[in-house]
Amino acid sequence: MNITIKYFSWIRVKLKKSHDLIELNETISLKELKNNLISKDPIFIEIFKDDSVKYFLNLKELNDDDRILNDGDVLAFLPPVTGG
Amino acid sequence: MIKIIKESFDLENEFKKISSKKNGAYSFFLGTVRSDLSFSNNEIKGIYLECYEELAISQLEKIRLQALKKWDLSECLIIHRIGRLNLGEKIVLVITSSSHRSNSIEACEYVIDSLKIDVAFWKFHLLDNEEKEMVYQKNKDNKKMLKWREIIN
Repeated sequence: MNITIKYFSWIRVKLKKSHDLIELNETISLKELKNNLISKDPIFIEIFKDDSVKYFLNLKELNDDDRILNDGDVLAFLPPVTGG
Repeated sequence: MIKIIKESFDLENEFKKISSKKNGAYSFFLGTVRSDLSFSNNEIKGIYLECYEELAISQLEKIRLQALKKWDLSECLIIHRIGRLNLGEKIVLVITSSSHRSNSIEACEYVIDSLKIDVAFWKFHLLDNEEKEMVYQKNKDNKKMLKWREIIN
């Protein structure tokens, strides 16, 4: 299964990329995905430590780390917004 | 009517799109790129606006529908630009229309205040050498939004 992760603002700048396509053999929770990302790149520790970062799954805010992610899901990591 | 665009827009043209004889009031908010200092105290060259477009459209639509209902508006138009903008250029336009002025004025303020806190846009200052400096959310904007949430809910 595939999960797309989109990165914005300082997260995108820090990671030097706007998205990732994660390929997995089985379903995974958000918590497990976070651990998976940290094991690949310690920069994610800083991202996940920041309480102001919001998580959106398929355009809806996600506040549950135990939420199981499914094939085709689009996850986004959003720092505080500054439009207008 | 909601648009997220790179190119500029014409105020009169946008006004004509929502103009109607049943309205007695239109309120406009136009945000532009102002001259500002970077954290290192240098004049900025402009701004860069990043957006998560699919999410921003749905968030703007939610704000627009709230404003239409709460203030009994006949229309609410929101245009937000993205990409690289020079000093003085237009960033965002909100137009609200209603029978009487108090509704359109209050709704217009609600829409722009909400947009600054709840919609997926990120602003960067453009500096010399093509460098970008992130702009941070302001506490005063957050505090104001808390008051709006009491009114809208």
